[in-house]
Amino acid sequence: MARDVPSAVSRGGHGPAYFALLFIFWLLTGVSIYPLMWLVISSFKTSAEMFGNAWAFPESWQWGNYLKAWNAGISRYIVSSVIVTVASVILVVVLSAAASFALVVLKFRGKAIIYTAIIGGLVLPPEVSLFPLFKTLNFLGIYNTYFALILPYVAFGIPFSTFLIRAYMVKIPGELAEAAVMDGAGPFWTFWHVYIPLCRPILASAALIQAMRSWNEFIFALTFVESESVKTITIGMMSFANALRSDWAVLMAGLVISVIPIMVTFLVLQRQFIGGLTQGAVK
Amino acid sequence: MKLTYQRLLPYLFLSPSLLLLAVFVYGPALENIVYSLFSWSSMNPDWRYVGFGNYRHLFSNHIFWASLVNNTLYAVISVAVQVFVALGIAAVLDARVFKRRLVYLFRTTFFLPSILPVTVVGLLWQLIYQPTLGLIDQLLFATGLDSLSRVWLGEEQTAMLAVIMVSQWQWTGYMVALFMVSIAAIPRDLYEALEMEGASRLQQFRYITIPGVREATLILTVITIFGAFKVFDIVWVMTAGGPNHASEVLGTHMYRSAFRDDVVGYASSVATVIFFITICVGMVQLKMQRDR
Repeated sequence: MARDVPSAVSRGGHGPAYFALLFIFWLLTGVSIYPLMWLVISSFKTSAEMFGNAWAFPESWQWGNYLKAWNAGISRYIVSSVIVTVASVILVVVLSAAASFALVVLKFRGKAIIYTAIIGGLVLPPEVSLFPLFKTLNFLGIYNTYFALILPYVAFGIPFSTFLIRAYMVKIPGELAEAAVMDGAGPFWTFWHVYIPLCRPILASAALIQAMRSWNEFIFALTFVESESVKTITIGMMSFANALRSDWAVLMAGLVISVIPIMVTFLVLQRQFIGGLTQGAVK
Repeated sequence: MKLTYQRLLPYLFLSPSLLLLAVFVYGPALENIVYSLFSWSSMNPDWRYVGFGNYRHLFSNHIFWASLVNNTLYAVISVAVQVFVALGIAAVLDARVFKRRLVYLFRTTFFLPSILPVTVVGLLWQLIYQPTLGLIDQLLFATGLDSLSRVWLGEEQTAMLAVIMVSQWQWTGYMVALFMVSIAAIPRDLYEALEMEGASRLQQFRYITIPGVREATLILTVITIFGAFKVFDIVWVMTAGGPNHASEVLGTHMYRSAFRDDVVGYASSVATVIFFITICVGMVQLKMQRDR
């Protein structure tokens, strides 16, 4: 029967359509990762070699490029990024879990309005708040400190992670909370010892998503800090690139260093990473 | 006593989040509208009320309209590639055309660019687009297409498209992964039933996959449009809106007005326009997400 129908791809035997698709997908794979491989290979060349054949491997591997890039101050930016990311992830996850707990388990009036008020933040792009925030941070005396990044990251991160965590908590049977209360447990105990452990998978996803957001955030990091010692890696790399315009190979080594932490984590935890980052956007 | 405690308790859990949202998200967004009604700069402490003056200036500024056109182009291309092409790729990966290990390999490599910081992506592609030395020109030279070579980011005709293509490179694989999640949620027996009746893979795609991901497609389209109108970072890193405003988008126009030209009131009016566009798009998104 199946052969009555024109089939693009026949099962079992590999027709020309199969090979065409296979070719297209390998081509797409090349487009996806060749730029990165080119970056890594070129970062080991001398600047002179760069002008030669772009496809060739380096004559001798210039590890010195990496040393130069590291000494140009990348480590400082990484430290700032780690501090800002860790602090904002912890705050976002704890505060969103607490808000979700109230929205799901506790009883109070105006729940729908408050929920809307929280996830409404999803539709506000950071650009819109930029100038007033700049003034607010100055007023609070935290401009050009880590807090100038951490607090806005947390505020802008809460809507999505509350959306995620609440949707997960709703599925936890309410009897669990009731049972805990029957045993004389207070709401804080129930939150911390019943709900937090049960929500671990979604908390991990929320943490991963927030970590990516904080680590990669651009416009606030560009605007709210100016000292090199506070700059995160996204903005630090721009200063770094400006300083090294003429020294391509070292610049490329610096780019590689800056993505190693995230790249290694991704390659080790691919499945969890992709699973976690695709949470919530679609069913 | 007990009663008040019971009543206040939920707010103990909610107030840190609500406070942060009020101070750092909603408050500033509203303040921005007020800012846009004044003429002011960081140098000049005097705020002069100008009503809709900034907006009149804005709507008669050709750079603003050029930016809006660029954002629209950004949205159209992104929807075509990151929604429709991505859906096609996801469908093929899901259809068991390839061996499972190959599917994982493709998914992972396509996904990879999306985890990179935008600065790294922007700087990397600046090097790739570099005349003569860059990978694109090297590729053209190697294939004898030398005549096509140009200063990709430095020419008005190509700068915007060159940046938009980088966005597609970075995000299409991520969208493929999202579509794969959505397609995986379609019950398998639907496919089996249709296959029993002799339907081809293309017919299965047409009659099961497409209706099955309709909702996800809508949401991802909205998210993509949303992203295209608030885009700032990749453009700022790669061209900063140049050359001669050829790749200007609303975000870069706003940023330059405030921090380079120091007309902050005017910049706030650009921010307000971004606010209204994204809120219209966002309302649709919010409604879809709540309806689920």
